[in-house]
Amino acid sequence: MIGKKHGWESGGNFALFVAPAAVCVFLAFYAPFLMNAYYAFTDWNGIQRAARFNGISNFVELATDADFLGSVVFTVKFAVLYIAITNFLAILVAVLLNHKLAIAGAVRAAIFVPYILSLVIVGFIWSFVLGPGFQSLAASTGWGFFKVDWLGDLRVVGLTVVLVSVWQSLGFYVLIYHAGLQAIPKETSEAALLDGAGPATKLFKVTLPMLGPSVTSCFFFSLAASIRVYDVIVSLTRGGPGRATSSVTFDIYTEAFSRNRYGYGTAKSLAVLLLVVILAVVQLRKMKSREVEA
Amino acid sequence: MKVPRRLPAEAALGVLAAVYLLPVIVMVYNGFKPYSEIMTDVLALPHSPTMGNFTAVWRDMDVPTLFFNNLVITAIGVAGIVAISSMAGYKLSRTRSRLSWALFLVFALPMLIPFQTIMITVLKLAKTLGLSNSVVGLGLQYWGFGVPLAVFIYHGFAKTIPRELDEASIIDGATQFQGFTKVVFPLMKPTTATIAVLDVMWIWNDYLLPLVMVNSHKSTRTLTLAVYSYFGQYVSNYGYAIAALVIAVAPSVIFFLLLQKWIVNGVVAGAVKG
Repeated sequence: MIGKKHGWESGGNFALFVAPAAVCVFLAFYAPFLMNAYYAFTDWNGIQRAARFNGISNFVELATDADFLGSVVFTVKFAVLYIAITNFLAILVAVLLNHKLAIAGAVRAAIFVPYILSLVIVGFIWSFVLGPGFQSLAASTGWGFFKVDWLGDLRVVGLTVVLVSVWQSLGFYVLIYHAGLQAIPKETSEAALLDGAGPATKLFKVTLPMLGPSVTSCFFFSLAASIRVYDVIVSLTRGGPGRATSSVTFDIYTEAFSRNRYGYGTAKSLAVLLLVVILAVVQLRKMKSREVEA
Repeated sequence: MKVPRRLPAEAALGVLAAVYLLPVIVMVYNGFKPYSEIMTDVLALPHSPTMGNFTAVWRDMDVPTLFFNNLVITAIGVAGIVAISSMAGYKLSRTRSRLSWALFLVFALPMLIPFQTIMITVLKLAKTLGLSNSVVGLGLQYWGFGVPLAVFIYHGFAKTIPRELDEASIIDGATQFQGFTKVVFPLMKPTTATIAVLDVMWIWNDYLLPLVMVNSHKSTRTLTLAVYSYFGQYVSNYGYAIAALVIAVAPSVIFFLLLQKWIVNGVVAGAVKG
């Protein structure tokens, strides 16, 4: 209102603030993505110079591709479990560490460490832990838990992949929830205590609602991570046993680079993105409208 | 009185964190064993801890060059991401319009694209723009790749800063850009610290983008690339690989511990009270 007079909402200012980031994101993602999208309508194998245009035949093939549909189903299951477990644990840990404990900072750093150890190392560590590590633990404890074939049994291998992913990325979400807790004005929580709220009431009526922006962020980030899940699968199961843990990104990568069908792989990634964009826009609109402003 | 009550809680947390990190801890202490000892029993603690792997790797890797490259890439990347994303995230959060919402989605959606699927054309474009095979060029590329996450986080946290503050600065005669740099940006310090921590950890330890962009020359390689060459080359000598990994990762973990203190409560609340 006062703004209008002082050019608060002027287009010039809007462009000044938004354009630099917009240009960068265009060059990093949108330009390569559009250059790439062209191949979805070709039979390019990723090696030859020439790519032959073949219309929408890639998309027709995709609709009945059992490998692709199977990987979509796996990714949906993965996403549901991963999003639920990660966010639940991350909020729990962040709230626990929010008490004034001397060790909290070190614990947060410790939980973060797996996040920066990618691909080769996580695979190396967990193949070892779940193989020889569990064997020797099974021998010494006799517990059935250690005797399960976590990477070979079709009934549990999906869960293994989810849990290792949670293990690897938990620190990232803890940090964002931690920042969210810090952004809650002290007055708000003090007022709640004065009004006689117990710790549980305070958590559910004050802390969690005020965490709104972090919850939106973390749900979206964990959804995005589920769509992109690749590293953990490559290094742990290579999509197996069979195709039991083949995620969409793994399937796209295999199609483009192992089977040398770059064009078809690109068509798959376009289809996935379209599906996910619709889902994400709906989710974001819902969650953003619930956030509380200071 | 408070100390005895907290001590068990601190100890319990410490133990839980250690269990969480056990696979990594086991890996790290294997770096202090000679090769033969690693092979006989991986789980056992080192009999007589040795720095042999570390000194060998330190001599073998060109640590100063690698470290300097990492520093340049990370500094350029993080500074740029923070500057442009704080402006965009703040502005989009303050503006209520269809255009603003649409642009926010344009910023957020790239997070749904797996990098592996656009890798080839990213490299093509980087070559065209003259950004490949260069440490500075790689740092600049992180601006675009880091913007989506950072804009998303700034967008959410800008809401916790009362509008009255930026409006007051405008009434005082500052331009909007001055109002942002002098009033709003300092108030977003905890958010900036969060993003700096996340992005330093990511860029310092990133593998795939440096592999595609700067792996062809020794002078432009990064610490992480050097570490992975151990995993490939001497895959039988895990001692070297682990030592290299620890050397590469340690600086970013120290940075994490230092910068975490900046993510603190009460800044905004204090500002409103005046």
